[in-house]
Amino acid sequence: METDRPDKAVSVVNGEISSACYLLYAAGCLFLGLFSLRDLLFGYSWYLSLPLSGVLSLSFGGGGLSAYFVIILSLLGFCVSIYSVGYTKHSGGGSPWPSFFIFGIFLSSMCAVFYSANIPAFLISWETMSLSSYFLVVSDTTNIESSRAGLLYAVMTHVGTAFIMAAFMVMFFATGSLEFTAIKAGLAGAGGLRSVIFVLALTGFGTKAGIIPLHTWLPRAHPAAPSNVSALMSGVMIKSGIYGILLVAFNILGAGAGLSAAPLWWGVAVLSAGAVSSVMGIMHALMERDIKRLLAYSSVENIGIILLGVGASMIFSCNNLPVLAGLALAAALYHTLNHAVFKGLLFMGAGSVVNTTGTKNLEEMGGLIKRMPWTGLFFLVGSIAICALPPFNGFMSEWLTFQSLIMGIKTSVVLAKTLMLLSGAALALTGALAASCFVKAFGISFLGVPRSREAQAAKEAPAAMLLGMGILSLFCLLLGIFPGYILKLLSGIPLPVLGSLPQFVPGGLAVFGIGSSGVLPVTLLGSFLAGAAFIFVFPLAAGGGRKSTCADPWDCGIQKLTPRMQYTATAFTHPLRRIFKKIYKPRKEVRIEYIVKPFFTREIEYRSEITPLAEAYFYRPLVRALHGLAHFAKRLQSGNLQLYLGYILGTLVVLLVVWG
Amino acid sequence: MPKEWVVVYSITDFITVGMLLTVVAMNSLKRMESFLRAYTINSILLAALMAVSAFYLDAAHLYIAAAVTLASKGVAIPLLLRKVVRSLKITHEAEPNINTPLSLVISSVLVVIVYSSLSKGIFIEGFTENTLKVSISIILISLFIMITRKKAVTQVIGLLLMENGLFLAGFSLTYGMSTIIELGVVFDVLMGAIILGVFLSQIKKTFIDLDLDKLTTLKG
Repeated sequence: METDRPDKAVSVVNGEISSACYLLYAAGCLFLGLFSLRDLLFGYSWYLSLPLSGVLSLSFGGGGLSAYFVIILSLLGFCVSIYSVGYTKHSGGGSPWPSFFIFGIFLSSMCAVFYSANIPAFLISWETMSLSSYFLVVSDTTNIESSRAGLLYAVMTHVGTAFIMAAFMVMFFATGSLEFTAIKAGLAGAGGLRSVIFVLALTGFGTKAGIIPLHTWLPRAHPAAPSNVSALMSGVMIKSGIYGILLVAFNILGAGAGLSAAPLWWGVAVLSAGAVSSVMGIMHALMERDIKRLLAYSSVENIGIILLGVGASMIFSCNNLPVLAGLALAAALYHTLNHAVFKGLLFMGAGSVVNTTGTKNLEEMGGLIKRMPWTGLFFLVGSIAICALPPFNGFMSEWLTFQSLIMGIKTSVVLAKTLMLLSGAALALTGALAASCFVKAFGISFLGVPRSREAQAAKEAPAAMLLGMGILSLFCLLLGIFPGYILKLLSGIPLPVLGSLPQFVPGGLAVFGIGSSGVLPVTLLGSFLAGAAFIFVFPLAAGGGRKSTCADPWDCGIQKLTPRMQYTATAFTHPLRRIFKKIYKPRKEVRIEYIVKPFFTREIEYRSEITPLAEAYFYRPLVRALHGLAHFAKRLQSGNLQLYLGYILGTLVVLLVVWG
Repeated sequence: MPKEWVVVYSITDFITVGMLLTVVAMNSLKRMESFLRAYTINSILLAALMAVSAFYLDAAHLYIAAAVTLASKGVAIPLLLRKVVRSLKITHEAEPNINTPLSLVISSVLVVIVYSSLSKGIFIEGFTENTLKVSISIILISLFIMITRKKAVTQVIGLLLMENGLFLAGFSLTYGMSTIIELGVVFDVLMGAIILGVFLSQIKKTFIDLDLDKLTTLKG
């Protein structure tokens, strides 16, 4: 017992240090956020070059796109840091001290990625970001699953980095410069090389962003990481992939400046990637029972929605529709901000739930809203926002994306027109499935009766965690009610596409000069409040003074409802699993143990799994092909000495004949 | 010049061709001791070649090199190997992987390939491009012998033959390396032969046989 004390003292001291550090991070984020907001609002930009050696220097620059992404980072970083003060104290497990240290490195490296202005700075920050997030993913040392997930993450992220490096290398060899501004000028007339750069960059950054089929690391790494880290990873880090795509495609290659800058198929590629990712992402999310994996798949979906906007913007600018191009890109950027806010909120909410119940499985939760009302409220706000219901922020950006896609009928090219319509349909399907998915996520975990003893004993999260979530919930609402300010902020980004962003009604979303019907978010809020009031008032008015009796609903005379009689997450999604049988390819297995066949059963085991599409049709064939190749190469290694000598002789003779 | 007869009668070519013939002949030899004897002749011819060019060029250090070569490759190594062969009680090579007529044909094909594809080198006085071609042929044929034979002892002798070929090639292109390097090389070869001799005994002890096919079982 004596020996325990120093450990405890150390852990208390560590706890204090980590709280102090997180508060420091929060302060840093606040400063960065205000700094970048100033840059963006007043159109400032700055440039800083740190020479490393004669030829090599690290340069950073602020303003424009960088400032916007730093604002996203600092908003989420601020809230997550506050949340982490409570989270690390609460969660225990593993040694906390390196993780808060690495957390700071992670935050600052993301910031450095957004501010980088030349290739070495970008790559170094990018790699620091990847590595620090890897260490955060595997920081739960007690769990073998998390180290496996970490390995997959490390491999995938480095595959992505390899593509990015290839793209940068091509840029360097084409222009001989490492500075982004100089590369931009040098690549103006590079022709086919530009497409090579674009494809390499889309693949590399797409891996980070998690577009299907490069998303496999996401649903594994996010659940393995501590929740504050997954909030940051999902909210900001995967956005660095979007930032990279925008940086290369729009800033460096100058897409969005008409057909001469970017061929039509670039936009088509991005749009298709977005459509596939959004639909497949949400379909996988729907089938998940692990709450954090569900959120991770939903991130894939939202990245898809963002890319829909980006791709539509590129297609519009090819078709000489600058206003629509601006609108689509603004929608994408707006959704980037919104997704960071509500997905961060949801991950934090999930983290609170997982912390207190000790499980990530939805089937073992239930009834949590009674036990953790504030967390429940915030999770509900996040869910509504991500389902794109007014008056929260998700609605605004998805609605803008919708608007731009539907107006895509105006494009002259039949291919683009068809694609726009299809993507619009995909987005609609995504929206519906997302709603269903989050009804499940919220309903199964927070409503009903507790399904396990842990859920029964759940406690409300500490104040710091609630504060972090509360701020983000507030932002969900604010960003939904005042979209005009965000769009004004976006028009401050010096991209040619956004230059032609139309004027917006202050505080509204009606776009001048397009002639579509506008929606005033404030009106929406009003009708929302009116509806809510109606729900409260109607029963009182209609019920009159009648006496009400309280009873368990739907107990069908059994009189004693058990938690096992509730709707389960698996059952809830069963109809959809049937409808999309062709895509899910579900495997079902029912095992029954009888006492007296066939009426009295002792045990029924029901197991159902879906086939992950990307694994089944992309990775497994790839792995099989690699194995086949390795097997073939193995035959060269017979172990026979004479054969090896024969190889030498053959090589010598060939060399002699060819070069002798 | 009284020493002109060396060039006039192409003495060096005679000797190198003699070396080539011994190597080709080794394809058809199955008795271990005659195989070893062919190697001995090959080494003695190499030493003779060095002595002849030392005589022709009046280079004292080449005499030393020739003497050392004779002592190590012509006497010490054959004696050592003969001791090993006798102690291991291997008198005959097992049936080779490729039969004798075919391996003779392949050897000659190798010589043809070398002669037809090797371009001219820069030689020291008294040597012609034949020497280089012969030396490369010796290297390839001894490699080929290592492929066809199954016993470890023949592999060792094949390796030593290759070394002779390399030595010949090096010698024909330069005026002999400085004596200290030559001595080092010779010492290396001697050590190699001793180590390989020990290895042979160990292989025999472990696998009961010196047949290299058994080594395939070592593969993971």
